[in-house]
Amino acid sequence: MNYDYSAYYVLLSLVLFTIGTVGFIVRKNAIVAFMCLELMLNAANIAFVALSRRVGNLDGEIAVFFVMAVAAAEAAVGLAIVIALFRNLETTESSDAMELRL
Amino acid sequence: MENSLTLACIPLFPLVGALLTYGVGKSSKDLAGWVATGASLLSFIFTLLTFQQLRALVGAHSYEVAAAGAHGAHHGGEAQVYRALEAPLFEWFRIGDFGVDFLFRFDSLTAVMCLVVTGIGTLIHLYSIGYMAEDESRPRFFSYLNLFLFSMLLLVLGGNLLVLFVGWEGVGLCSYLLIGFWHKNIAFAGAGRKAFVVNRIGDAAFLIALFLLIQHFGTLDFVALKAAFENTLASEALLTAIALCFFIGATGKSAQIPLFVWLPDAMAGPTPVSALIHAATMVTAGVYLTARMHFLFDLTPYALLIVVCIAVLTAIVAASIALVQNDIKKVLAYSTVSQLGFMFVAAGCGAYWVAVFHLVTHAFFKACLFLGSGSVIHACHHEQDMREMGGLLKVMPWTGLTYGISTLAIAGIFPLSGYFSKHHIVEALSHSGETNPYLGTYEAAFTAVITAAAIMTAFYVTRSFAMTFLGSYRGHAHPHESPVTMVIPLVVLALLALGGGVLNGMVPFQLWLGHTIPVGHVHSSESIGAALLHSWPGFVGVAFGLLFYTVLPQVPKALATTLPWMLGALRGKLYIDELYGAVIVRPLEGMARMLWKGVDQRVVDGCVNGTAAIVDVSGEVVRNTATGQLRHYALLMFAGTVFLIAFYFAM
Amino acid sequence: MPLVFVILSALLIASAVGVILFRNPIHSALCLVVNLVGVACVFAALEAHFLAVVQVIVYAGAIMVLVVFVLMLLNSKTEERTLSGVIQLVLSGIIGGCLVSVVGPFIIEQWPIVAREEPPISGSVEALGKVLYTDYIFPFETAGFLVMAALVAAAMLAKTKGGDPNHPRISEGKNDGTIQAGGEQ
Repeated sequence: MNYDYSAYYVLLSLVLFTIGTVGFIVRKNAIVAFMCLELMLNAANIAFVALSRRVGNLDGEIAVFFVMAVAAAEAAVGLAIVIALFRNLETTESSDAMELRL
Repeated sequence: MENSLTLACIPLFPLVGALLTYGVGKSSKDLAGWVATGASLLSFIFTLLTFQQLRALVGAHSYEVAAAGAHGAHHGGEAQVYRALEAPLFEWFRIGDFGVDFLFRFDSLTAVMCLVVTGIGTLIHLYSIGYMAEDESRPRFFSYLNLFLFSMLLLVLGGNLLVLFVGWEGVGLCSYLLIGFWHKNIAFAGAGRKAFVVNRIGDAAFLIALFLLIQHFGTLDFVALKAAFENTLASEALLTAIALCFFIGATGKSAQIPLFVWLPDAMAGPTPVSALIHAATMVTAGVYLTARMHFLFDLTPYALLIVVCIAVLTAIVAASIALVQNDIKKVLAYSTVSQLGFMFVAAGCGAYWVAVFHLVTHAFFKACLFLGSGSVIHACHHEQDMREMGGLLKVMPWTGLTYGISTLAIAGIFPLSGYFSKHHIVEALSHSGETNPYLGTYEAAFTAVITAAAIMTAFYVTRSFAMTFLGSYRGHAHPHESPVTMVIPLVVLALLALGGGVLNGMVPFQLWLGHTIPVGHVHSSESIGAALLHSWPGFVGVAFGLLFYTVLPQVPKALATTLPWMLGALRGKLYIDELYGAVIVRPLEGMARMLWKGVDQRVVDGCVNGTAAIVDVSGEVVRNTATGQLRHYALLMFAGTVFLIAFYFAM
Repeated sequence: MPLVFVILSALLIASAVGVILFRNPIHSALCLVVNLVGVACVFAALEAHFLAVVQVIVYAGAIMVLVVFVLMLLNSKTEERTLSGVIQLVLSGIIGGCLVSVVGPFIIEQWPIVAREEPPISGSVEALGKVLYTDYIFPFETAGFLVMAALVAAAMLAKTKGGDPNHPRISEGKNDGTIQAGGEQ
């Protein structure tokens, strides 16, 4: 007899997501903000996997797979942007890039 | 009805010419005049070709019958069948059942108008080459002139009222452009504006008439309208309203009381313009319109009475003002107003063909007079005051001679052209009571007034001739005869003024027009003695004119000193401009000022500025949220999302 | 509630809080590594074995290496604790708390704990591969294009403008500025 604890996993996902969001808002450092973004994505992934199990098909896990692909692409582009930002403004703080241009 | 290609070409040439002239003028200003004249001449040639086609179409038999009818007295002209050439270019638009085609139609009336417009137009183009030779912007002038010709041809060729209206507005526009041609002079530009605005009043009435026709008859095509009017059940009040609206439109364009004030001011334009637009062609558009809509006016005797009243009044008032003008062009301008009154008298009496006949002869001698005056002005270095002229006959024999012939023609002396048309007008007026009971009551009074106007006409043109060409030179310039391009049109027009009367003798003008408009009885020709007797008003006027301004110059001076108030009133143009200023312009200005200061500046500007201020203030507040900080946006977005989710669950 | 879930969730939440509270970015990054590995464990606990492996390889292996590398490269400083930062933390914490308290009960209500008869589906490599290469082949290829486009974009963004390709400078703008300033003097 198995029990399904998806609700707890989804709840965990919600908490992690909220922490990620708060971090994104609070932290000035662009790289840390970026890490918070990864936190949020992972939180979503947990919810996907948990509910995929609950629903009984693999669609959720496939979604996680694509989220990972997107996260990889995002990491590449995001870090490149951080480097470009640093090169132009000599800072990694998002609060210094407030003029919508370099 | 038969389609005709040459017909479609007639207005094409001036249109192309107008564009071409402007283009050519960029490289050679002298060539521009010749291009414009060439376009005009081509248009005239094609008019002649089309005219021949129409004569063939009308057919030899009916023509001969008509010619035979001219010899036998009292042969009705109404029996003739309406025939016309057509050039349907395209369907302009269609709204439900109501459609308008862009259609040219060429019938006997149009033929006459077209020949006059293109013929005199060509002569005046030729004249302008000499007259405008030293003007810097003559390509523009010729371009406008060709454009005018195009619009005027649209007006007379239009097969329905809407095409006619396009031409009607087009000539108004060209008139405005050409009156204000020397637009650097503020007064001249103002004259153009005045002409435009006054014409708008008439045009508004014209449009109302069009709408009434569309509403009640559902068509604007002349042939269809004529058929619709033949057995219409419309009330007389409606018909009278439509007719009067058309007449108001005509008073604007043809300078009748109360809308005649723009024409004297229009003399600000170059003199060829005055000759072409403000004497020969455009101002006669109202007469043409009346003749064209004869089937409407024939049904409304009451409207015709008003037409005649206005026309008689205009004729006598304008003639009396012309008596004392010293500006040579002003004399001719008021003369034109007066002569247009004569035409409307004829039209109002139902003798449309007489109106058109006078239109044609008037076009000849008045164009000649204007061109002659232009020649004089050109010679005297743009001096227009006749008191600074005199004795010019010796130095300008051609101009003097042609001016003299036209003087006699407009005076109505047999056997010059003016006699024939004027005599017919008086005759039509004295018989008008037979067909129109309203007119019958006032027949005698009207006849007396119009005869007085005829005497005055003869007097003031003789006065202008005597002051300009007789006596000794009083000015300071060195007058000289004008170049040949100016003399040729003068001579041609003088010959036409001289012989224009035969139009109704050898060439059966009346019967020709009878193909289109009712012409009533054909009168048998009268004996020479009777004709000379009938031209007595002309003789009286010319005699007094010569007497007062050559032999007895003290008489007019004595008259001026004994009747100073009268002279003042006439010099002041009967203070009509001042009256309009006080009654119409000043209150309108006051109202406009009130609306400007009160409504526009307070309410409208207040709304606009208030809106802007609200946006400004709210922007100042809201801009604080746009810090450019990524984290602040994220915070707001997060808060918004949470709020929305909370809202969703709360629901 | 299974023990493994309790341990894992405590680990995950603790490491996530660490990510946002450590002022030194390197410490944040190390916390994130712990968090990512924890997520991989969660996947394994949920019998998504393939995803658990990929999580470790992609996130902990590739992305985190990249992040740490960039941190080293740019030599990010430790953030100072400021009053406004604390206010922001409190404010966003309140909003986050609102979110959890609003959505949490809904989740519990939506997916109650039930006993289930049949064995849960398996996220094995075989099962996932079958679905991925049949039903999801087109999104899969598209994801491939996306990653490639991201690589090209990253290369474009990160390359220096002009200059000597043999000596790429991170802070080229600064050098240019110094030269100009020298010229003015």
